Amino acid sequence: MPRLPNLWRGSIVAKLVLGYGLLGIATIAAVSAVFYSGTIGVLDQNIDGKIITQSERLLESAGDGKYPSLEAEVKRQLSDGIDSDREILQLFDAAGARSAGNLGAWPGTGDDDEMLTTTVTRNGRSAPARLYLRPLDGGGVLIVGRDLSEEEAVRDVIWRALLAGVCVSLMLTVGGAMLFRRSIEGRLGDIRRTAAQIEAGDLSPRIPVTGNDEFALLNRDINRMLDRIELLMDGIRHVSNAIAHDLRTPLSRIRGRLDDALRHDMTVPRLSGAAHDAIDDIDDLIRLFERLLQIAEAESGMRARLFERLDLGRVVADIGEMYEATAEDSGITLTVDAPDALFVDGDRNLLASAVASLLDNAIKYAGPGAAIRVRAGLHQGLASIAVHDNGPGIPECERGNVTQRFYRLDKSRHMPGNGLGLSIVGATATSHGGALVLEDAAPGLIARIVLPLAPG
Amino acid sequence: MMENRVRCLVIEDEAETSNYICKGLREAGYLVTAAATGPDGLDYATSEDWDIIILDRMLPGRIDGLSIVDKLRALGKQTPVIIVSALTTIDARVTGLRGGADDYLSKPFAFSELLARVEALLRRSAPGADSTQLQVADLKLDLRTLRVTRGAKVITLQPREYRLLEYLMRNENQVVTRTMLLESVWDYHFDPQTNVIDVQISRLRAKVDKDFPVMLIHTLRGVGYRMGATPPDDMEPPHA
Repeated sequence: MPRLPNLWRGSIVAKLVLGYGLLGIATIAAVSAVFYSGTIGVLDQNIDGKIITQSERLLESAGDGKYPSLEAEVKRQLSDGIDSDREILQLFDAAGARSAGNLGAWPGTGDDDEMLTTTVTRNGRSAPARLYLRPLDGGGVLIVGRDLSEEEAVRDVIWRALLAGVCVSLMLTVGGAMLFRRSIEGRLGDIRRTAAQIEAGDLSPRIPVTGNDEFALLNRDINRMLDRIELLMDGIRHVSNAIAHDLRTPLSRIRGRLDDALRHDMTVPRLSGAAHDAIDDIDDLIRLFERLLQIAEAESGMRARLFERLDLGRVVADIGEMYEATAEDSGITLTVDAPDALFVDGDRNLLASAVASLLDNAIKYAGPGAAIRVRAGLHQGLASIAVHDNGPGIPECERGNVTQRFYRLDKSRHMPGNGLGLSIVGATATSHGGALVLEDAAPGLIARIVLPLAPG
Repeated sequence: MMENRVRCLVIEDEAETSNYICKGLREAGYLVTAAATGPDGLDYATSEDWDIIILDRMLPGRIDGLSIVDKLRALGKQTPVIIVSALTTIDARVTGLRGGADDYLSKPFAFSELLARVEALLRRSAPGADSTQLQVADLKLDLRTLRVTRGAKVITLQPREYRLLEYLMRNENQVVTRTMLLESVWDYHFDPQTNVIDVQISRLRAKVDKDFPVMLIHTLRGVGYRMGATPPDDMEPPHA
């Protein structure tokens, strides 16, 4: 597997990390820009404003606006001791010669009405300055400016702070992204390792669940799904074994009988007897297949469109009546308690078959002398059919198993049956949106089918 | 058997099954014609008059069993139709019956079951004497008063036993299978795992046949029951 080259291209984590990194950087840039324009930008603007105001004031206070009075005013301002370390004033006459002012070297030319930033020499040292060149009526230029040394120092500090801030943020972003990535990959790794083990054929491992975050929820969901799959796989394995066994036995019996009939004295009664027996055995096999199909059909849940509104009480009463004689013959008292008008949507024959199966089981396993009571009614807001016997019941630990296909309690293996009865009942209940519940009746068993009531 | 021999059409593509059905029906005294494809079957079914049609649901040649039934009914022919099919789900059965078939039998089936159902259908479609009393030998059932007597003795029956007896008597000398009884008398269609029907029959037998020299309800091994004064050839001694 080419891991490294694709690590960043194919990885959603990498993409997420990269995305968040870029977003972080963009945020930092935006914050920096706002901060910068809020500090240095404002500073710069203030300076320009101040310079212009000062120049206006100067010209105003020069009174007649004539050159000499302007010169005097410049000199006065320069010597008034106010702001003297920052203010720059310089006057050039019409010929371009320096007149009053504190500007040392003046590199610039031009006499446009302009604002410029340059380096000047002032009081014997060079300094950055912001200058306003103002041409005067009748020739000459007035330069009003400010020494920017202090501002530059502030600007430097701000720049450095911004730079440091950006560096630290970037490091935090990258570091955080890597931590994020590692943590997500760690969590994903748990899932992938489990998946690999399962793929290798071991269905037992589960994803470790820690905490209560989204991954924990996802892992719990996956684990539940795995539990279900494992159960189904067990079921299938069990069914295959059981089919292998349940088919092999009658098939070898049929084969043996026919073979035996052919090899020994082939009299007509003998042959016809063998044929009859073979047909009986094959009929049993067909029945077994039909029941398996019936489970598959019920489990696939494809039948709902054939459902009709029916009176469950009526069905229970009919089937109960059908079994009364059978129960009596087995020395069992069967009481049927099925009031009318318990309406559900379902398949009448399937439900009848389910009730018959439960009664069959009860009669078969409760044994002579037992009392069986079948009742239809409401149970916790659902339609319910309960078959209650006072026989030996089913041990609690076995109750989940008996609804599995082909499962038979050890003590009932000698009895006729194929271990499909309760699984069909369960599948039927499920396909009707209900459930088969086995409860302890102490003594005995309550097998209960609950179904949703018909709406309306 | 009836004077006019029953004309029967079998539409089935699988040669062995077709032979099995045709041979059995001929042995029962029917005139049998076989068709092996959908179009052939449709031709036969619509161009001649039949007493009964037995057809496979899945046929080669783009016309399946259900569409043959469809066309037949569209032509206004009420010929009884039995579908035999390997599609055994209840779903398939319901669509088959809703599609106009009169009965639905899943493969594999016992021939006796098929024959019993064919005969029941033939009898249903035959114009019956609109009698108010059924009688088999000295057993009488009055349909108006619901009174059942055998000889001079009045027999008291539960409602369900009465319906069971009525069905058996209406099908005098005909084989009825357990599933047919479950369908007709109880109006349910499923495969009861135990011998509930047998128990019901033996109850009825205890009331109807016990203490009388002539048995009227006979058990046919692996098939079902038959009501009549003469025992069938392949008869088991009654369980009761």
